[in-house]
Amino acid sequence: MPLISFVWVSTLAKRGSGISILSILCSLILSAIVFTRVWNGQPQHFQVHWFSVGSYHLTAGILLNNLSAGMILLVSGVAFIVHLYSIQYMRSDPYLRRYWRYLSLFCFSMMALVVVDNLLVLYMFWELVGFTSYLLIGFWYKRDYAVQAAKKAFIFNRIGDLGFLAGIMILLNQFGTLNITELFGDGGAISNAMIEDGVWISGTHQMPAVWLTLAGGAFFFGAIAKSAQFPLHAWLPDAMAGPTSVSSLIHAATMVAAGIFLIARIYPIFDQNILMLMVITGSITSFMAATIALVQNDLKQILAFSTISQLGFMMLAMGIGAYDAALFHLTTHAFFKCLLFLCAGAVIHQLEYFKQAAKIEFDCQDIRNMGGLKNYMPITFTAMLFASMALAGLPFTSGYLSKDSILLYSFDWASSQTGLMSLVPYLAVLTSLATTFYIARLIFKVFFGSFRQKQRIPVLEPPSIMKVSLMLLVLFCVFPMFSWNPFSVENSWILKGFSADVQVLSQSRLLHILVPLLVTFVSFALIYLASIVYSKRDGDGSVTQVARDSFIYELFYHQWFINKLYNVIFVIPLMYLSRVSSILDNKIVDGLVNGAGRSVLFLGALSTFVDRYIIDGIVNLLGSISKSIGNVTRHFQSGRVQHYMITMILLLLTFFIFKYFS
Amino acid sequence: MSVLSILVFLPLLAGLVVIMLPTAQQGRYKYIALGATLLQLLLSAFVYINFKTGADFSGVHQRRQFQFVEQTSWINLDLGTLGRLQIDYFMGVDGLSMPFLFLTSLVMFVAVLASWEIKTNLKGYFALFLLLDMAIIGVFVALDFFLFYLFYELMLFPLYFLIGMWGGVRREYAAIKFFLYTLCGSVFMLLIIIGLYFSVTDPLSGSHTFNMIHMMDPANYVGGSIFSPSAGQQLFGISARLLAFIVLFIAFAIKVPIVPLHTWLPDAHVEAPTPVSIILAGILLKIGGYGILRICYSIFPEAAIDSSWCIGLIGVVSIIYGALNALAQTDLKRLIAYSSVSHMGFVLLGFASLTAEGISGANMQMISHGFLSAMLFFLAGVIYNRVHDREIANFRGLSLLMPKFTAFCMVAFFASLGLPGFSAFMGESFSLIGAFTSESVNGLIPRWMAIGGSLGILLSAAYFLWTFQRMFFGELRLMGGEDWRIQLTDVNTREKIALIPLALMATLLGLFPALVFEKMNSSVLELIRLVNP
Repeated sequence: MPLISFVWVSTLAKRGSGISILSILCSLILSAIVFTRVWNGQPQHFQVHWFSVGSYHLTAGILLNNLSAGMILLVSGVAFIVHLYSIQYMRSDPYLRRYWRYLSLFCFSMMALVVVDNLLVLYMFWELVGFTSYLLIGFWYKRDYAVQAAKKAFIFNRIGDLGFLAGIMILLNQFGTLNITELFGDGGAISNAMIEDGVWISGTHQMPAVWLTLAGGAFFFGAIAKSAQFPLHAWLPDAMAGPTSVSSLIHAATMVAAGIFLIARIYPIFDQNILMLMVITGSITSFMAATIALVQNDLKQILAFSTISQLGFMMLAMGIGAYDAALFHLTTHAFFKCLLFLCAGAVIHQLEYFKQAAKIEFDCQDIRNMGGLKNYMPITFTAMLFASMALAGLPFTSGYLSKDSILLYSFDWASSQTGLMSLVPYLAVLTSLATTFYIARLIFKVFFGSFRQKQRIPVLEPPSIMKVSLMLLVLFCVFPMFSWNPFSVENSWILKGFSADVQVLSQSRLLHILVPLLVTFVSFALIYLASIVYSKRDGDGSVTQVARDSFIYELFYHQWFINKLYNVIFVIPLMYLSRVSSILDNKIVDGLVNGAGRSVLFLGALSTFVDRYIIDGIVNLLGSISKSIGNVTRHFQSGRVQHYMITMILLLLTFFIFKYFS
Repeated sequence: MSVLSILVFLPLLAGLVVIMLPTAQQGRYKYIALGATLLQLLLSAFVYINFKTGADFSGVHQRRQFQFVEQTSWINLDLGTLGRLQIDYFMGVDGLSMPFLFLTSLVMFVAVLASWEIKTNLKGYFALFLLLDMAIIGVFVALDFFLFYLFYELMLFPLYFLIGMWGGVRREYAAIKFFLYTLCGSVFMLLIIIGLYFSVTDPLSGSHTFNMIHMMDPANYVGGSIFSPSAGQQLFGISARLLAFIVLFIAFAIKVPIVPLHTWLPDAHVEAPTPVSIILAGILLKIGGYGILRICYSIFPEAAIDSSWCIGLIGVVSIIYGALNALAQTDLKRLIAYSSVSHMGFVLLGFASLTAEGISGANMQMISHGFLSAMLFFLAGVIYNRVHDREIANFRGLSLLMPKFTAFCMVAFFASLGLPGFSAFMGESFSLIGAFTSESVNGLIPRWMAIGGSLGILLSAAYFLWTFQRMFFGELRLMGGEDWRIQLTDVNTREKIALIPLALMATLLGLFPALVFEKMNSSVLELIRLVNP
């Protein structure tokens, strides 16, 4: 089986760029083979006995179906391009070897994550992915903020992992197995389990029905941490402290998609409540992140919030049952977001060179310092333009296909909902428009207008390998890769592959035509607006100046104050609690022990006192009494016969006197 | 003379050699100790490999199913009307004790390597060290309660001197605290042992016996005796058997340690010299856990069931309280000490669940913690040796200065915080899974305990990562300036020899937990059948 070998290849590839690239290429080829063999064919399943505990026999193995085959191709494809890109991007880094080592480890764990068949093993790779992400975010470990961002990412992921672990515990308890096929396959344990009178029954095991919801909720919780959904999204923007190539691979294309992947893998477990929760989380996240992205000035931060927002779209799609559309969007998003990041990386990289050459100081990631770069870096500009169009969901791009399918599904879904829930699709449309606006803002500020630095040294186009990788990704941003008809989602082969039968989207034909049309039209209007506002030299003109003072701007700019909230609600109380418990431990618990020790010592001292002065005193008293008696009587024993005589005579006399008178 | 006896008395022999050799030869003492522990390691590997698994070798309360058994009459006195005093030299291993033999041997080997730092009074040091080694192995193989107690007390004596004479600044305080604390527990244990002795008879000879395996069978109790299960005797208003269980539990729990009986541990760990810290954390704590399973649970099963809710609660409290305290520490060794308290909480939680997963997970956690805490203390020792300081705040950016050391620390820290792929993950997750399933399997502990315990995993990530960030990342900045920069050299070969096996074991057990789980599975199942039929 080729899979195992390539997994090993990528772990062993720990030496240098050459080996890493070679191994990732092997992986890519092998996963392409796997993909062609598995796609739309029989799912393949291999497993070996791993260990047994008590009555549980755990197996580890590989499960290949459309989902995992598609994912593995996606992961290895994107990883390969990013590897290629990194050759140039990281070339001058002194710790290059460490970089390749971490990157290979990441690729290994990510690829293993998508193919394994057992939830416990999945969990292991799930955490391993988080761990490698920790390593890579903190790659420049001399920078404090990078290290802190890494820690934050790991701990946020850990919080989600607890949910995952809780879900594993519930399922193992209920079904006695963690094998994904046995649990979630057709006729698997989940579909055979039923709910009767509030009791969740599976074979001989039963639990209160609420645990089914809790199990779904637990896995969902794990997924929102990994996929950076509200309220556990705060780690992702900080994670941008890592190298840009890493942000591109891990924090845009692959790792963050793992949460969505998990949901897809175990989809049958989620009941209505959790699906509803997904819808709510997804829409809140996507809306919130898009609004934040509107006002950020850091190039990478904008893209990070955009990622969060797009992941929110996928989550929303999962929640409304558009499983296939979510995965389709995941795939297209992986490519165009990866491309966006790589372009951003190219811009930053070249500006760094420019900065060194021009010997001036400015923040290379702040879009306010850029402008007019399209004249200097036309290829990067073109690539970025394609990616942005895909992100905005303009026609003829891949993003158009996938995003519109989500919007359409959500309109379909909302027609069966009442109350607030029926507003969900409108919120999604609004978010989608905001997306268009912020990405247009980014493009105009970075590439249009005139360059905002004084020096007239030209900024150069990135080296050729980077350009090649950008161009490769551009291919995946346009429609023919996914569907021959640029306007019809139903024809997309990926969509067909992910769901057994593509639902008929055309419940209302009119809507199907109207929604994309309207969205596209308004998008173009917004782009025009953005071009007016932002392409000028002093981009933030009077229009934004007004907005700047408002509360909403503040709210968006400070990312809805969520970081501060976390600090106040969790971090500070936790530190306080730990200090309190430490004092408790030192003063009270240990104090009791020392107190016991001291009281024993005191007792000892007391008994010494009693012993020395009372008991020994009595003994000594007795001694001295008898001694003094002895002293008194000693005088009687003078040894002189005359004294004895006199005493005797006196005694005799006394005796007789007494005798005589009595 | 079978392999277990050799295993036990080999260190004693080496200790005698150390004593015999003149002081002029004191450079060789450490090599003698190293040789002895290496031989011991090979022997225990031999035991591990030849250990048979399966339902016919589960042991626990079946005399025939123990392996490598040795039993000879040791003290056999005719006391006239009081009957016969019968004490056996009775040793054997089953799935519960065998993994610990290997753990002990490996940790001892590492501890000898850490003993290179000891410079004064080598003869005394190594003699006591080897005596301690003997006592610990003895505890794990003894099946006669008197013999067990003998070894158990024998451990204290060398430890007291090792901490008190070769320790840090407050060594005398720490040593006496440790000694008295532990003694406090075990004195009452002696009373229970005597009570058990008069309650149990050997079914063959009819005389009273200290044989633990006989104590596990209710049929061997004299009718109406104090600990007879059928008599239901009361002491101070509660069942005598429950009282005995509690007393024994406390005796062992001090060793584990549990909150609030844990305060000897930070002091003892911090003041002890590195090798003794390694032994304390690596093995000694496990004796507590082992004793609870082997003695408390097996001899007083019904009391164990009655008190499992409390034990589970103690476990959860220890996990969270220990972790919170660890978060507040500024001394590296104290931090590790409190993390031990937290990690050992999982053991109690797993025990309390009385499910196969829980107890296997708890045992796994003990073994894993044995390797990892030994590694952590060794690493703390590396720094302390070089600059005699352990304050976390005094170090920064060490990864620039000591990259290999950082790599080892990373493995140890991440393994300890339960990263999958390392043994601690298996231990913790199965303890929690056991605790979680308990409610539907036997209804002993509620599900929220498992959820509460899992918070400990989160907190452990917080304190380890925070420490790691503070000590190793950022720009290089040392309290001691240029002097320290010169003194802080990277790990040398000897240190690598000690660290690599530990890291390797932690990884191996994380990837192939079957190495431990399968060896003990039948014993664990048997134990559960015994306790909760």
